[in-house]
Order: sequence, then structure tokens, then C-alpha cells
Amino acid sequence: MAEALIDRQFLERLERLTIHWQKSFQGLVGGHNASRFSGSGQEFLDHRGFHQGDDLRAVNWRAYMRLERLILKLFQVEPRVPVRFLLDTSSSMATGDPDKFEYARKLAAALCYVGLVRLETILIQPFRDGLLDPISAGGGRHRFQPIAEFMQGLKADGRTDFLQVSRKFLAEYPQRGLLIIISDFLDDRDAEKPLQYLADFGHEVFLIHLWSEQDRRPPWTGELEVEDAETGQTSKMNFDDEARDAYTASFDAYAGAVRQMALRKGGKYVGVSTSIPVEEAIFGQLMLARGIY
Amino acid sequence: MFFLNLSLAEFSALFAVLGGAVVALYLLDRSRKRIKVATLRFWTPSEKPPEARHSRKIQQPWSLLLQMLGLLLLLAALGQLRWGSPERSLRDHVLLLDTSAWMNARDGRRTILDQTKTDAVTWVRSLPASDRIMVVRTDALSTPATVFETNRGLVEEAIKSSKASASAMQLTQAVDFARQMQRLHGRGQGEIVYTGSGRIADKEAAALPKNFRLLTLRKAGENVGLRKVALRRGASDGELWEVFVTAHNYGTQPRKIPVALAYGHAPVASGLLDLAPGADQNGRYEFRTKAGGELEVRLIVNDAIEADNHAIFELPAQRLLEVDVYSDQPDLLRPFLAIHPWIKPKFMPTNSYTPDTKASVVILDHFNPSAPPKTQAIYIEPVGGGSPAGAATPITSGMKLSWRNEHPIAEGLRTGDVRLERGEVFASTGNFSVIAQADGKSVIVASTEPRKAVVLGFHPAKSQLRYELAAPLLFANIFKWLTPEVFGQKEWNGESIGMVRALVDNNLKPENIKVLNDGGVALPFTLEGNKVQFFAGNEGMFRVVAGGREQVYSLTLPEVAETTWEPPKELRRGLPSLFAGGASSHDLWQWLALAGGLCLLLDWLWFGRIKLHSSVATPSPLDAVSRWVSGWRKAA
Repeated sequence: MAEALIDRQFLERLERLTIHWQKSFQGLVGGHNASRFSGSGQEFLDHRGFHQGDDLRAVNWRAYMRLERLILKLFQVEPRVPVRFLLDTSSSMATGDPDKFEYARKLAAALCYVGLVRLETILIQPFRDGLLDPISAGGGRHRFQPIAEFMQGLKADGRTDFLQVSRKFLAEYPQRGLLIIISDFLDDRDAEKPLQYLADFGHEVFLIHLWSEQDRRPPWTGELEVEDAETGQTSKMNFDDEARDAYTASFDAYAGAVRQMALRKGGKYVGVSTSIPVEEAIFGQLMLARGIY
Repeated sequence: MFFLNLSLAEFSALFAVLGGAVVALYLLDRSRKRIKVATLRFWTPSEKPPEARHSRKIQQPWSLLLQMLGLLLLLAALGQLRWGSPERSLRDHVLLLDTSAWMNARDGRRTILDQTKTDAVTWVRSLPASDRIMVVRTDALSTPATVFETNRGLVEEAIKSSKASASAMQLTQAVDFARQMQRLHGRGQGEIVYTGSGRIADKEAAALPKNFRLLTLRKAGENVGLRKVALRRGASDGELWEVFVTAHNYGTQPRKIPVALAYGHAPVASGLLDLAPGADQNGRYEFRTKAGGELEVRLIVNDAIEADNHAIFELPAQRLLEVDVYSDQPDLLRPFLAIHPWIKPKFMPTNSYTPDTKASVVILDHFNPSAPPKTQAIYIEPVGGGSPAGAATPITSGMKLSWRNEHPIAEGLRTGDVRLERGEVFASTGNFSVIAQADGKSVIVASTEPRKAVVLGFHPAKSQLRYELAAPLLFANIFKWLTPEVFGQKEWNGESIGMVRALVDNNLKPENIKVLNDGGVALPFTLEGNKVQFFAGNEGMFRVVAGGREQVYSLTLPEVAETTWEPPKELRRGLPSLFAGGASSHDLWQWLALAGGLCLLLDWLWFGRIKLHSSVATPSPLDAVSRWVSGWRKAA
């Protein structure tokens, strides 16, 4: 499944990368700060007696040979800054050529793999007009397989409601962290304010704005009957070159507004066209935006 | 202009149907497009009114025109549109594929025939599909391999399955045959196409028709080959074989070629032939043997044709004639039986006679046998009514001996004034033939029933005949008549397939001559003077039996033609050009298909690809022309 989503050569290139964020989050550390809490870290902290249900792999067998008592080794826990992905699975993502949804899945999977390699705690939260069932993972690259299978099971359907999604997300995940939103940010209502709420709450938002070339500059001319992929609403119109220019200008203005909001709130913004290969987007635009490097 | 498969009405109907479908598809394509987009928030209609209120209207006439034109041209190409008239377009070609012995010549790894087959197939594929082709394999005979055929698979199969024969090509005969085929079975015009080695058996160049085409001439390299090998026994020595070898140099350089003879795989003779270009050279070789076996004559040379470098003969063992002589005076007969070394006499007294004997001939000298011998016999002066020729009366003194030379035993016998003093003459001959007479009465007779027998009424050694040359000749003729398989003259000849000419004795009647093949079946022949001619189309053994002489022809050598054909300069050569139909029709489908494809490509470039996939609308050149015309009209 993983090979179907991302090929092996691409995964090998991704292992050199690291997801980066700018903010400091209270009570959490980055990948290199030691913690005083015991847990599944690498650094030794203390010994205690073995209790039923403890991990046998942590038993100090040398001490057992000498004392004939099971003694457990304790390690320092390393509380990580959570890296969460909000992945748009609305119907609008299924439009365009190539498909934005397929592109978003590959991009999210690639970034997840980068995080897993660096032992980050990853959460993928699909959304439409609300939050769908998430998946979380952490602890290394070998945990990537469930994430890839989860991605393959997702389907694009329904409408987008960013306001509702923001509310539920803030209620569900009070702990702040890095929030990577992969979406076309096309909502009937304004998407800027809900995104602003997320940033104001304390999350560091990293907006990856996907569009297809048809989304930005429709190629059609003449008599058109245009149907909204999410609402099913139709509109008949005469579309010519001037109308196309006006369309592109509106689209660019909206993308610029989203970008301004993200930057103003200390986040990052990357606009990606689906005509660019995923590998090229990661090693190009995402690195330039210093989202990963 | 006409269609091979469709009439004009059928074509028009087909075009109308397809054209209507194209227009309908065009209008459907130009109607309002229904598209699904991610959001409607950025979509704003154009401020300009739509160019066409009614969507079912032709908005891009140039596009429709290009599509219709492309369709028309492609349909015309599919219908094989041609210039000319249907009657004149039907061309029937005859392909003369040279399969003579020269085609076995090698040029590198491939034979000339292989190269010629490739040329012929290329020519077949260059012809229009409507042309019919007859493949004729030409060597000494012209044999059609197909009828006039449009099925290219059958034609190519006939070409590829052709094999080189062992005979030389008769170009004149092949051209006549091709013209006759075209006249009798062909329709309209067509060409007679020749491809081959250009080595022909014709002495003079053939008169070629105007529609003759020389496709390719594949020249072979230098070649030297056996033309004839003749064998016969030595006249004086029964164990001696004389071999006469004739070789020919078909090339342009003088050659010195070793000749080797092997009998039973053992070398028995060798020699060297000095061959000038285009000339024959003879060689005579001898060897001695009594045993039967296989004689191989070989030219030791590496040249273009390997098959004419050797010939093989199966020779019989020498056979001796055993003769049992029952006589009380054997010394009188000894000189007559010493006339030939192949005669092996065994002298015995008359009282030891038995009818059963292994000998081929029995001589009964002056006694009456108790029972006739069970083999061929010579009775000399039988006594006591023991003559198989019936009642005999004594010879009266001085009867003159004369010969009936029409019988083979008396052939060539002359005795002058020889008179018989004693002996018997036979009154009634019955089924006996008279050989000699004494004063008109039969004195020597011969019979073939039930076995060959000769009865002499007198003893040659006790008469005046003993002083004559006719006496030993008489015995020689008697033995030759009794046992022709021993004394019959036999020759072996190795020659090439085709017309065979054999010399026979003078004054032979046709009914006394037989030409037989391997199976003993008589073949037709012609007789001119002492020359017998017959035709052999296949390899094998043929026998010419004439009188007491038998000639065996082992036709295993290929008939390699000597003449190199020099084609006239004005001859059509090589593959015909694309429009080389002469006065017949021309194929146009290639150009029509190209033009139709070009129209559709232009339509796609100007109205399909750019309009659909380019973000910036690019006006087509036809649109610019349209705008210029409309502007000019307004100005006017």
C-alpha cells in the first residue's frame, strides 16, 4: 500500500528532511531537549521493581542474575510537539486534472514519513464539514504502513465548513502544536476567519494551498453551464478571455488573502499547483517556505 | 475517375451519412458545455453578449469545412480512387522466374535463386492490389506455378517455393509462352517480367515484346563443369575401361582443372584439363577392372555451380561366356572358339552328354543327343535324324554355298565360290530361319523357339569354308546372336538433362530402336539419319537400344547454359515507378489519405488543441482571414 502511494526512491530521499516550526510550546520540547518524566525515551532515568504488565524488554537481566529479583529500568520520556495534519476530503478536492485529492494524499503521506523518521508524534485528521476519524502514529519509519493504508481508504465527498471544523478541532485538541492544513481552502463562506481562530488559539499553522490549473485559469470558453462540485449548484454563463482574466485575478486575490493571514499570525503558506510533481513541490516550494528542510 | 469497390452513387450516399454524422457531432461539440468545478465563487459571466444566441449554430465554419474535407479525402482513399478507366486498369503480369541450373550458383552464402526470389517478392509488393500476376518457372520448359492471381499470399508462396532445376533456360520459348498466356487468359494490359541469371540456352537473342521488363540480372561467378562423360569397354581387352571426359569453361578466365577418377572410392586415374574461356576440352582416361562398382569422375575445383563438377556411374562386372562343347574331334573346333577372350569353352566327349548344364551355350558336334539341351545350342552336322530342323538329305558333291545376309548371323559374310562336298541340307525349315543355302537348299538354319538354336548342316572345319575369313566370323555372329547380353556393344554416357542426341548404326529402322527410361517405359524419339533425339526433363537413367548396341545415358549433370544474354538498352528495367501503369489507371489513395490526415491535423491544431488546452486563446489563421474578409466587406 505504501509503495502504491509513494515509491521507495522517494521515501529514501525524504529521510534527509525534517519538519520545522518556529513557535515554542509550553510544557513540550523539541526533539533534542531532555525531560524529567519517565517513559519510552532512550536515556536511562532510574530503576524500580517489576510489576505485572510491565514491558519485559525493560527488565534489567544483569541485576536479575545477581539479585534474583526482577528490576525494571526506567527511561526519560520525551514529550514531543504534536504535528497534526488537517486534510481536506471534500468534493471540491476531487476536481481538476490531475486530481487534487490524490495529490493531497501523497503530499500528506510524504510529510508524515518525514515526521516519523524524526520520531515526531503525528496525527492525521481528515475533515469536510466536520472532523472524521483520525489516525495517530509515532516512533519511527516502520509505523508508516498504517498511515499509508489509512490514506488509501480516504474518499473525497461532501461539503467544506471551515468554521465548524475549527471549532471542533480546538475542542478536540487543546494541546497546541504544529498544524499543517492541506486544502484548496474553497468554502462557500469565508475560510480566513476560521483559520485565524486556529492561529490565535496558539497553533502554528502551516497552510498548503492546493489548486489545479483549471481551478486557477479555466480553459473553457463560450457557452458554459458550471456546476459546483460540493453544492451541486449550477450557473449558465458566457465565458470569454476577459471573464477568464477576471476569474484568475479573483482567485489570486483570495490566495493572497489566505497567505497574508498565515504570515500575519506567524505561520507559513505554500501555494502548490497539482501540475507540479509532489517530489518537486516538497524539495522546492516547501523547502523555500522553510516548512521542511 | 472511378472506384474499385463503390459506384459514385454508393460513395455519395456513404459520404452523406458520414458527413451528417460529422455535422451532428460538430454541433454537439459546439453546444453549451457542462463542466464541474471546485467552487462558483470566482466565476463571473462575460460582460459581452454571447456571439450566438442559438447554440445549435455553426460557429466555426472553417473547422467544419476542414473536417468534412478530411472525411471526403479519407473516404476517397478507402475507396481506392484512381485516375483512368476501370477496363484499362486491369493489368495481368507474367513473372518469368528463372529456375535454370545457373540459379544454383552461389554468390556468397546465398544462391542466385534466393536473391532473385527476394527481387520478385519486392516487385510483387510494389504492384497495385488490383493487378493479377501469373508466376511461371522457366528453364528448359516454362511451367506456370499460379494462374493469373490477385492473392499476393499465393503469388509470394509460389515464388518462395520455387527450386532450381537441372536444365538451361529457353528465353524465347518462355517469352512466347508468357505472351500466349496473356493473350488467352489475360485481361487488358500487363507486363512480362523476367528476373534471373541471364544465362540462356538460346543461340540467338529472343525478339522481346514492348511490355517486357527486366527486373534484375543476377550474375554468377566463374564456373567450370563437366559436359559429357562417356565410358566403354576396350575393344581388345575385356577388362579395360575407356573414359572420355568433356569439360567446359563458362567463365572469362583460362583455367587448369585437375580431373580425378575413383572406382569404388579408390583413385584409378587423374589428369589435368587446360580450359580456355568459353571452350570445351576433352580428356581420355583408362583403368582396368573385372569387378562391378561405382565410378566417380570429378573436377577438383571450387566454383559457382557445384553440381556439374562430378558424375557417378554404376558399372557392371565383366561376364564370360561359358560354352560346353561335346565333340569327339575337339581340335577342329578350338580355333573357332578362340576368337574372343570372353568365350570360355569346355570340351567333353559326346558320350558324357547330359541335357542339364550351367553353360550358356552347348555345341553338339556330329552326334544325336538323347534329349535336347536345356539351353541355347549349336548343332553341327547332326546325324541319325537328330536334327531339330527336320528331315535332312545328304549334300551332293559340289553344291555352292550362299548366304542370306538379311539375318544377323549372316551379316557381313562373303565366301565367293565355296562348294560343299559333304553334309546335309534341310528339306523343311518350319519355324527356322535360313542363314545359308547350298544350291538353294537350307544348309544353316536358326530358330528362336523354344530356345535359340543354330543348326549347321556341314562342319565348317571339314569343308572349304575353313580357309575363308567367313568361318570365324560365322561363329562370332552366332555367339553374338545367341548371347547379345555378353557381346552386345554397350556404352555409358553421362550427360545433362534436356535434349539428348545418340548416334546409332546406319540404316536402322525406327521399329528396331527403343528409348527406355528407368522403369522400362518407352519414350518418344525422332530419328534423322543415324541420329536419335529424345527429351529428358528429369534426372535418371535412359537407354537407347538399337540393333545389337545399347547406349546408357545417365542424365545427372545439370544443363548449364553457355550464352550470356545481353538485354537491349531500351528495355524497361527494375521496379516500376509509382505511376508506371502506362496507359492504365493510377492509384491515388496514398495522396488522398495524406491530404485527409493533413486536414484533420490542421483542424485539431487550430480548433481543437489550442482552444481546449491553451490558457491564452490563439486565433487561427483561418479566423484572421475571415476577419479580414468581413472588414473588407464593411469597408466596401
